[in-house]
Amino acid sequence: MRFKFLALAAGIIILSLFPIFQTNTYYIHMVERILIYSILLFGLDIVVGYTGQVSLGHAGLFGIGAYTAGILYFKLGVPFLVILPIAVIVSCIFGALLALPALKVVGPYIAMVTLAFGTIIQILINEMTFLTEGPLGIIIKKPTIFGFQTKEIHYYWIVLAISILSLVVINRILKSRLGRSFEALRDSPVACDCMGVSVYKYKVYAFIISAGFAGLAGSLYAYSEQYISPNTYVFELTVLFLLAIIMGGRKTRLGAIIGAAIVITLPQLLGDVKLFRIVATALALVVIVGSALLISKQMSTIRKVAVPVIGTVGLMAFSYFIKNISDWRLTIFGFMILLVVYYLQDGIVGFVNNFYTKVFGSKKSTRDQIDVGSFDKDDAIISAKNSSAPDQILNLKSVLMQFGGLKALHDVDLVVKKGTIHGLIGPNGSGKSTLINVLTGIYVPTSGTVEFSGSSIVGKVSAKIALSGIARTFQNVQLFNEMTAIENIMVGLNHTYKSNLFEIALNLPRFKREELAAKQRAYGLLKFVGLEEFANEEARNLTYGKQRLLEIARALALDPNLLLLDEPAAGLTAPDIKELLLIIKKIKEKGITIILIEHHMEVVMAVSDVVSVLDFGQKIAEGKPKEIQNNPKVIEAYLGAQAT
Amino acid sequence: MLIIKDLESGYGKVNVLKKINIEVPKNKVVTLIGANGAGKTTTLRTITGMIKLTSGHISLNGKSIDNFPSYKVACLGLAHSPEGRRVFPSLTVFDNLQLGAFPRLTGSRPRGDFKGDIDKAMELFPKLKERRNQLAGTLSGGEQQMLAMARAIMLNPDIILLDEPSMGLAPILVEEVFKIIARLKAAGTTMLLVEQFAVGALNIADYAYVLENGRISMHGPASKLKNDPAIKAAYLGGH
Amino acid sequence: MDIFVQLIYSGIALGMIYAVVAFGYQLTFSTSATLNFGQGEALMLGSMVGLTLSNLGINYWLIIPLVCVFGFLQGTVVEYLGVRPAIKIKSEFGWIMSTIALGIIFRNFAENIWGRSTFRFPGPFEDDPIKLFGANILPMEILVVLGAVSMMLLVEIFNRKSIYGKAVVATANDRDAAGLMGINTGLVITFSYALSSLTASFAGVLISPLTLAGSGAGGALGLKAFAVAIVGGLTSGLGIVVGGIILGVSETLTGFYISTGYKDVPSLIILLIVLSVKPAGLFGKTTIKKV
Repeated sequence: MRFKFLALAAGIIILSLFPIFQTNTYYIHMVERILIYSILLFGLDIVVGYTGQVSLGHAGLFGIGAYTAGILYFKLGVPFLVILPIAVIVSCIFGALLALPALKVVGPYIAMVTLAFGTIIQILINEMTFLTEGPLGIIIKKPTIFGFQTKEIHYYWIVLAISILSLVVINRILKSRLGRSFEALRDSPVACDCMGVSVYKYKVYAFIISAGFAGLAGSLYAYSEQYISPNTYVFELTVLFLLAIIMGGRKTRLGAIIGAAIVITLPQLLGDVKLFRIVATALALVVIVGSALLISKQMSTIRKVAVPVIGTVGLMAFSYFIKNISDWRLTIFGFMILLVVYYLQDGIVGFVNNFYTKVFGSKKSTRDQIDVGSFDKDDAIISAKNSSAPDQILNLKSVLMQFGGLKALHDVDLVVKKGTIHGLIGPNGSGKSTLINVLTGIYVPTSGTVEFSGSSIVGKVSAKIALSGIARTFQNVQLFNEMTAIENIMVGLNHTYKSNLFEIALNLPRFKREELAAKQRAYGLLKFVGLEEFANEEARNLTYGKQRLLEIARALALDPNLLLLDEPAAGLTAPDIKELLLIIKKIKEKGITIILIEHHMEVVMAVSDVVSVLDFGQKIAEGKPKEIQNNPKVIEAYLGAQAT
Repeated sequence: MLIIKDLESGYGKVNVLKKINIEVPKNKVVTLIGANGAGKTTTLRTITGMIKLTSGHISLNGKSIDNFPSYKVACLGLAHSPEGRRVFPSLTVFDNLQLGAFPRLTGSRPRGDFKGDIDKAMELFPKLKERRNQLAGTLSGGEQQMLAMARAIMLNPDIILLDEPSMGLAPILVEEVFKIIARLKAAGTTMLLVEQFAVGALNIADYAYVLENGRISMHGPASKLKNDPAIKAAYLGGH
Repeated sequence: MDIFVQLIYSGIALGMIYAVVAFGYQLTFSTSATLNFGQGEALMLGSMVGLTLSNLGINYWLIIPLVCVFGFLQGTVVEYLGVRPAIKIKSEFGWIMSTIALGIIFRNFAENIWGRSTFRFPGPFEDDPIKLFGANILPMEILVVLGAVSMMLLVEIFNRKSIYGKAVVATANDRDAAGLMGINTGLVITFSYALSSLTASFAGVLISPLTLAGSGAGGALGLKAFAVAIVGGLTSGLGIVVGGIILGVSETLTGFYISTGYKDVPSLIILLIVLSVKPAGLFGKTTIKKV
């Protein structure tokens, strides 16, 4: 951490002093552009790197920022400091217009819509000459701030300051509950929804935030270039932005900056054949040597390195074959994309990190470690004893869940009493998991009523149901694998925050308080399930049994009145099961109602107050555990007739 | 005919199967039983290439089929009626059956008497005959199970893998399914039957393996295991 | 009034071209959940290759099957280089970017081989319009509509009647289960890409006599076809014909009554509206996810 901070400080100092020593405006301007692109890329990384969506329209949003600035300057003479926020707001509006419909469905829709958008914006800018001056473009002078006419060097410092600010703000956003939500929705969208974090909503937030940064960059760009015209904001620019992100490295700020630098210096490279030949040859040599190294250390095979080697050598040969590079610019460009997408997936930053760990072997986690030393909250679970929920906390009547010709749930009635542990058993395929999915909004029942705490939950989205007091764990563990244990729980605590984006960006007191409270509570929840020493461990590194306990702790973060445990003992060893039983009993003491699906009979019998048995989508028996165990219909369902 | 040796496989980091050994001799019915989560379906999915094995070997008729993709295993004569039936919902019953014989109709396996086999399948499963031109997605759970089994038979396979054919079916339908398995057995069909419904499976099988937490905890002739008290305990509690 | 009906006719013809390209999206999306972002370039290549053949003196009706063969091969290349690796690493970003990259490369090659200008593409008919319901329609426009519809019908028949077609549908329904049937699903996906580029190239040869042929023709077309695919639904068949007609007509009407500059705008607006209201498309089915 120390090292990072020092490096950043050094970087800022160098960049600030740079224009004093290098007075050639060409280079000052080039660095300025790199900074401006970086601002856009910080935002684009949130969409592409964190939420995993592909936006093909950011050149269009960039253009909107630039033209908002240009039009306000040219037509209305609006001052610079007012233009910047307006450009941001306008871009955010466009971002929302795109994201709200396009992100409703999972799939390549956002890519398709943003592609259409980017193209059309460029056309509109070209056509609406009454507003944008069309192909003529708009000339802009460097800004005058409070009467002071800035020159190139002053503007450079303004851009530097804003890009540092952007870096800080983005970092804050990504380290906050927003960043965790973005990562969670990518790791496991189902779990995310069921923890009260609506995947749709947060995908849209991410897009709108990135649009805002694109607009900011665009408006700065307008003043930087001092001339804007429609043919800048074309598809090729969007592809350049994406190439920058992948090449530099996703989910890192440094990657965005490196990517910006590469992409801005790329035209130089692709303008001079001789330079290109040198670079292509050098690259081919690096790849050959690197591959040989990896093969000699037995970390790769000839088959695996064949394509990058052939590819870079082919590129080198190609560079000697062509005479005029500008004609073939796009081919080289496309080729680079192919190579980067498949062989440099973690970008340069990621590649260097991986290489470092492979060769020098350091196992430090890339996640932030939270200092839990001073935490000691013990009452992390909010008691549900005094809740106003009715005695029949869950009431299902005649529920039918039909898929095509299949009746997964057939006329199911179920009443769960507040404060009890209600077991739910039945053979594979009897409808237990279907029932849980209906209760958490993943399926909408074909017919029938489902009432929780007196109101119907049919048709409500999963995130809303979660926030109304129903939490669950999953049969196949759905943790946010790349996040630490404590971060996983903090996603569940998303609902405890009242502070908004501005408070996060500016690190205001209320946000700081809420963040600290959440950390403490998350730690307390870890203590409740006995996982406090693993707080900073990545979820995927925990043993299976501990992962299941972590899921329970995360579910409890929702302050639920009803907890649905879907086969919590599956795959656990006997000592793990003992621990699980203790924890279930502790949860009951807090007054939380539990529905427990299980196949391990001793677990169900040991803790349940009531047991319902499903078979073939119908309830075939219900009663106290001992009665159920000896019920002939139940025995037949599990083992078949003629069982002793 | 089918030999599984020291097989280990699983999902990601978790090794669900830990060195299991199973043999299915020709013309015999072998069953693999165990509680849910024990690894039964994982075993079948590893055999048919839906999951990669981490170590161990699988051989069919003496030839290794380790990590063969599903379609290759099918073309070698191994039919799999998967868990959850997985019929093709937007194709008709007839189409589904026809696709079961895909390798026969495209040259990867001897064509044989395709028409005759369709008629035989309809006779074995009368419910399917009535619904010949109905879309498979509109069939009930029991009918889909029939279709999945008939589809597997259409391959004219050397061996059939049946993955939990009784799952989600009402007792009366389960009886019907097992009657059909009995008829197949009488005709000498080699089968590996994975079941949660232990009694039915043990009644019909020649040999049985019990899978617990990814390991074979016991195996032997089915008739012997049927009366073993440890089986009941494994299923209804009392560890 | 005459002009209005004429615009409707051209709009329908244009829309049918968009529908054929969108059809190609459906073919690959249903079997592999991926599509070719460079589909417009496939169309462009079809028309340019057709133009070259035409300049060699080959008859238009013979050009059509030749271009189809070319398209089939081009699609195979796209799948192999761009899509297959991405499916292996399960990266959506991967196939989107690589099909875009391939599209860029194809376009650049086209620019270098044929230059950047646009050319007249000699069609099989004279340019004299026919009178239909009182307004003019070009025989070529009729051919476009007939060609597009027959192409889509042919594929539908193939899917329903031949065992290979059923194998494709099975792959689209349930890839794993299709594999268990002995169907080489990887090959099915390659085939759907080959077929998809075939239909796009075919569309290119159809539309070029009406519009001009040039290396830059691909981009906007691929985009409009996106809109059609979304409006019609990425997995259903019928919707794209309706969607194509709606978009084609809105484009010709806007182009005439408002301005040619704005003709591409209605497609984006319609696209956004459909996504907001019925995301699966006008005729699409919403799928149920399983947990």
